[in-house]
Amino acid sequence: MTEMKDMLGRPATAMEAELLDVHARLLHLAQRTDLPPCVASGSEAALALTWQMANDLGFAVDGSAR
Amino acid sequence: MNPSPFWNPKVESLTRPELDALQVAKLRRAVRHAVERSPFHRRKLEAAGVTGECIRSLADLRRIPFTTREEWMSCQASTPLFGDLLAHPREKAIRYHLTSGTSGKNPLRVLDSRRDWQWIAECWAVGFWGFGVRPADTVFFAFSYGSFIGFWGAHYACEKIGALTLASGNMPTDMRVRQILEMGVTTVCATPTYALRLAQSAAEQGLDIKGSAVNKVIVSGEPAGSIPETKRLIEEAWGAKVADTAGMTELGTICMFECSHQPGGMHIIEDHFLEEVLDPETGMPVAYGERGERVVTSFGREMIPVLRYRTRDLVERVPAARCGCGRVYDIYAGGILGRVDDMLLIRGTNVYPRAIESIVRSHPEIDEFQIVVAKANDIDEITLRVELKPGTADGWPALEKQLHFDLKEAHEMLRFNVERAADGSLPRFELKARRVVDQRKKS
Ligand SMILES: [Zn+2]
Repeated sequence: MTEMKDMLGRPATAMEAELLDVHARLLHLAQRTDLPPCVASGSEAALALTWQMANDLGFAVDGSAR
Repeated sequence: MNPSPFWNPKVESLTRPELDALQVAKLRRAVRHAVERSPFHRRKLEAAGVTGECIRSLADLRRIPFTTREEWMSCQASTPLFGDLLAHPREKAIRYHLTSGTSGKNPLRVLDSRRDWQWIAECWAVGFWGFGVRPADTVFFAFSYGSFIGFWGAHYACEKIGALTLASGNMPTDMRVRQILEMGVTTVCATPTYALRLAQSAAEQGLDIKGSAVNKVIVSGEPAGSIPETKRLIEEAWGAKVADTAGMTELGTICMFECSHQPGGMHIIEDHFLEEVLDPETGMPVAYGERGERVVTSFGREMIPVLRYRTRDLVERVPAARCGCGRVYDIYAGGILGRVDDMLLIRGTNVYPRAIESIVRSHPEIDEFQIVVAKANDIDEITLRVELKPGTADGWPALEKQLHFDLKEAHEMLRFNVERAADGSLPRFELKARRVVDQRKKS
């Protein structure tokens, strides 16, 4: 799911790989159907942030769970 | 404290060829997204035979048709409220804003998703960090926090940076000045006109803003932020450095900013926007240093894809090396130089409001001004009306003479009328100043 090379074709650094991993795990969490509102909304809000960080660093990742 | 002068060192330090390659990849994604999600863009791109896969180099950008404000307005009118431009259903949105549309024009309506709102703040953060805003700063927004997007994104950018962020939507001007002093504000955000108005209010209240903690004034919303005479006035009044920024409601955020090196222009945020400078008549690109119309493509907003949007802003692009900060981003020298359609033709002479403002602002005793164009006996007449600051009336005869001379000299000897307006009679502006009154349009 996570593209480990940036849009310039460079492999992710250790820091970038960690960020992409957090983003992928958040995306996975946000897709669950048993989330209470506090977690469903919070994980969507957090995803907007992790997407933005990945986008800043030149990675093409999925934005949100819905 | 993080010592990086760049908000995003990885991208801001790319080489030009690397940035070009990143832009091609981002453009391909933006086109793909527009084709898949936005009926408005799908229709246009299919008609032009363009898909994401067609984008292999920056030259392929020219295969994409332009988008105009008129098209956007008419798609909103035929499919209220938002037209078929939206790439996601309205349920995904968390924010709604309008253009500052006046004079009975329908406003342009925009929606933003959670991700868009982050991105909007992100672009502002690039600029604010670049001018030196840091977590230790206290930032004051002299802004109404209404339906016009204005500084909304900048507010969220300051929260993101971690600065103490002060809103003042409920405060009149005099109270705002007192709040700036009381809270030890270091950074003030306002339109250029309103930054001067705040300084004037401080003088009227006998308050010393020059000796205050304010060391940065960040302006937006009017081209005046890059007019050297206006900027100098603000810098002198506040005892602070002034940075210009510029964006538009259609994009939701700023596309350019002045860095702390103050290179006499604004850096284009080129990893979030692809900017072209074109001859407004032919639509062909102009060279570095030549004046043309800004045409912008956004890589960020997901709800409203913007491809090759005709901004009508006039700019002159110069290479990034013009600035010593080391960013890869190119620069618009002198900021936004005017609008394609704001030139006034007076008895055969071209008159630009920006040029008049430079002359007016070289006289600090002028508080406010207005440019009135009217027809008298079928002849165009242009009148500069000025309001003086308190205590400067004695100098009026000499100032009047000087203004006559300066205006004539700058406009191929065109005669201007110069009038003194009564104190407090001219309109004051908190948002975009509208100082040109063209009475010929009514008749
Ligand atoms: Zn710079």
